[in-house]
Amino acid sequence: MTVQRVWTLFDRSQLYECYECSRCSGSCPVALSLKGLGPRKILLKCLQQGQEAVIEDPMLWYCTTCQVCEDRCPQRIPIPELLTGLKNMASRKGNLPEKIRFSVEKIAKTGRSVLAFRVERERERYGLPPLPEVNTEEISRILAETGFFRDLAAIDEKP
Amino acid sequence: MPQEPQALKSDERNPTASTKPRIGVFVCHCGLNIGNTVDVERVARFAEGLPDVVFCGANLYTCSEPGQEEIKKAVQDHGLNRVVVASCSPRLHETTFRAVCRESGLNPYLFEMANIREHCSWVHLHDREGATSKAQDLVEMAVARARLLEPQTEISVPVTQRALVIGGGVAGIQAALDLADSGFKVYLVERSASIGGRMAQIDKTFPTMDCSICILAPKMVEVGRHPDIELLTLSEVEQVEGYVGNFRVRVRKKARYVTNACTSCGDCARVCPQIAPDEFNAGLSTRRGIFIPFAQAVPSSYVIDMNMCLNKEGIVACDKCLQECKADCIDFSQGGKTLYLDVGAVIVATGVDVYDPTPLTEFGYRRFPNVITSLEFERLINAGGPSQGRLIRPSDRKTPRKVAFLQCIGSRSTRSNNYCSNICCMNTIKDTLLIKEHWPDTEIKVFYIDIRAFGKGFEDLFRRARREGVEFIRGIPGEIVEDPDTNDLILIGENMHLGEWYKYQVDMAVLSVGIEPRNDSKVLQHILNLNTCKDGFFLEAHPKLKPVDTACRGVFLAGCAEGPKDIKDSVTQASAAASRAGILLTKGQVTVEAVTARVNPELCKACGACVRVCPYHAIRRNEETGVAEVIEASCAGCGTCAAECRFAAIHMRHFDDHQILAQLEAATREHPTDKVVAFCCNWCSYAGADFAGVSRIQYPTNARIIRTMCSGRVHRDFVRYAFARGAGAVLVSGCHPADCHYINANMQTEKRVRRLWKEMKRYGLDSERLQLAWVSAAEGQRFAGIMERMSEHLKRIPEEEILKTKQAYERFLKAGAVA
Repeated sequence: MTVQRVWTLFDRSQLYECYECSRCSGSCPVALSLKGLGPRKILLKCLQQGQEAVIEDPMLWYCTTCQVCEDRCPQRIPIPELLTGLKNMASRKGNLPEKIRFSVEKIAKTGRSVLAFRVERERERYGLPPLPEVNTEEISRILAETGFFRDLAAIDEKP
Repeated sequence: MPQEPQALKSDERNPTASTKPRIGVFVCHCGLNIGNTVDVERVARFAEGLPDVVFCGANLYTCSEPGQEEIKKAVQDHGLNRVVVASCSPRLHETTFRAVCRESGLNPYLFEMANIREHCSWVHLHDREGATSKAQDLVEMAVARARLLEPQTEISVPVTQRALVIGGGVAGIQAALDLADSGFKVYLVERSASIGGRMAQIDKTFPTMDCSICILAPKMVEVGRHPDIELLTLSEVEQVEGYVGNFRVRVRKKARYVTNACTSCGDCARVCPQIAPDEFNAGLSTRRGIFIPFAQAVPSSYVIDMNMCLNKEGIVACDKCLQECKADCIDFSQGGKTLYLDVGAVIVATGVDVYDPTPLTEFGYRRFPNVITSLEFERLINAGGPSQGRLIRPSDRKTPRKVAFLQCIGSRSTRSNNYCSNICCMNTIKDTLLIKEHWPDTEIKVFYIDIRAFGKGFEDLFRRARREGVEFIRGIPGEIVEDPDTNDLILIGENMHLGEWYKYQVDMAVLSVGIEPRNDSKVLQHILNLNTCKDGFFLEAHPKLKPVDTACRGVFLAGCAEGPKDIKDSVTQASAAASRAGILLTKGQVTVEAVTARVNPELCKACGACVRVCPYHAIRRNEETGVAEVIEASCAGCGTCAAECRFAAIHMRHFDDHQILAQLEAATREHPTDKVVAFCCNWCSYAGADFAGVSRIQYPTNARIIRTMCSGRVHRDFVRYAFARGAGAVLVSGCHPADCHYINANMQTEKRVRRLWKEMKRYGLDSERLQLAWVSAAEGQRFAGIMERMSEHLKRIPEEEILKTKQAYERFLKAGAVA
């Protein structure tokens, strides 16, 4: 695990632009329905309390990277980039929800994040050609070279 | 009492070239501003060792009374005939020290400044060694120039004792009245059909809740009937020529098609078949093709909007208004006029535009009828507005029971305008109280980030609003959605203080929009040669000490054209601008800096090159001999003629060739290859470098700035000489192409640099070592960036390249190359 701080993935100085207008949290569809951490709170906690204050929180994983927060941010702060960085940090700390892990492993094996047999059946019913083949070898190589399997193994070693 | 400019004594202390220079150097600590970074004592000791320096002192504050006294004493005791002060920018204190010289009996032009604060200590805060050696270089350059300075006599020119005020809003009105009341003739030029401006549109003013038009209308009427004010409505300034005290202004006055006999009875409008959105009511109502802007308009006269009228190009298709008018005041044959006004001072009070929130799609402005702007709200709540002051919402014209205000729309954001618009917080608080006054049961929510209630009486008003039950919720809604059946609005967002999410249903939402520079302010900027700050507002000459002056002498600023401000501040500034203009006009004459060109008829070969490049047509050829002659009163002192002359026949007073070459020589005496020689024009790029200092933007210590009045002064031989001396890189910088303070002299600069680039390529040299850059007075960051890049480039230049350049330009080393 070479990367320890989220600031190596995201330029901290961009967060200084934030003046707490809360348009991001007000726009966040996830925060609104789950009443959980909004982008604004994540950003502020990161800045004032450090990444540890947020990466333990399972709510982090509900971000769908829909990018609305960035679209509406009056200061053009790339909040989804920060969240992606934080998710990276979180997974290395072992905060990787089972379902996400399942999806990623699925991608490694089949090249798709969901089980495709149902989709295939539907397509057949409408006379559509089957989904194109996925180059799983390439995907596995990308995951291997970006250190995904190594990170996963490290997580498993933890109690 | 008008004062004669002090006569200059010509005694032994105003030497000619033959007397031996006795130079005094005064190095300033400027408290810790310089002293903290630069080793001032070391610089002073270094200065002592320079040739012809007979006295050297260091002061804590040279500009202070004791500091000035010390200069005077040293001039007496040591028989100084040149003074060098190493302190701040000459743009700040040159006048101060010139006055000290004059009081010491020394010609003020025998003074030189080394800028070791803005150009040194402030931009190299963390490099004491680098900053100190740069300061030494800057002092050496100043001493080298001082040695060659000559006494000059300033001429004074008469001032036309009339003023022009551009813009008839409250600022323009106040400035015009103040000047006219002090006895000067004032031309007030207003683009629209009536004066009044934004203030006339507003319902009440904060914090006193005065009726806006009730306090403005008497002033408007006073302007209309003041014997010394000539009101020119439907008029625009097209061109301004001349200089301080003697401007010639071309004004285009459009036709009103209604004569002065109009009694504003309104019969004509009743029969006019053409309908258009009413601009004064922010488009919330309609007006006719013939209309009066608003009831209290001055001049109180109808006007025909020819874009709407059916009569075009002399073909009369409809004459209903003409038939109806009992006073016979409709005249379709009226045409526009071009007027020429001679004035001594100009006041710019052109005001602002209102931000259009359409691009912020999440708030649904223009999609949802019940989302309106604060200006539209002003018209809705105004008794003279489209609803006669009854608050209604646009979708169903019912009085809303729940109203929301959204703050900071179009302000403080990189997506719209970066700055705080100053007025919106208090405007909203005032608006909430207006609603509460008439409809106390209305639920009002204000969504804000910060409430800025900083002025006199503002906090009281804010407290009153809270007491009246207005809810202030921290956190701007993320979006507004509309219920398509009822046109009600739902505001979704986070209440930051409670850490909870809200969904509020309201009947109407008011976007508290910011203000921004006029979209065509660039036009006036070019006409008057003004600078703008990075937000687009006109730039003052000094943010603290000359807040209403501009870099263009004789032009003053008032109101929101200079920056967002409320009515009180606009009026205050207008009075200040009028008073500043009044000083100029009262004196009746003004001294013009003795920086003008002179031709040496013996050297002139009558080629006519200078005549072609002079932007002011101030040089003409003698009809008999063909030799060039300068008309001194017309010469503005850019020096582009001297830079064009190949025979060194033009002597540019105070910025002469040999003075600039001496600076170059000093700058390149030690380690020339590591240095960037930068020619900066006084008005934009030198000011831009100053601004980098004021903003403490750090850049490498190898810049050596040489000030010229205009980049057009930079002779090609200066650049060649610098390269021959082994300079690593040369920067020629000036105002942005259309912003040149000498009309278009910087176009000559560009031509010259291009020719030099070509020449360098021909010699097989790295032409990137010569850079041309346009830097405005507000672009400190840009200047620092250029220095950063050029220094980076320096590191990659091989030694052979330097050697090759030196050889290529060796012949320019011989001191006579230029002079």
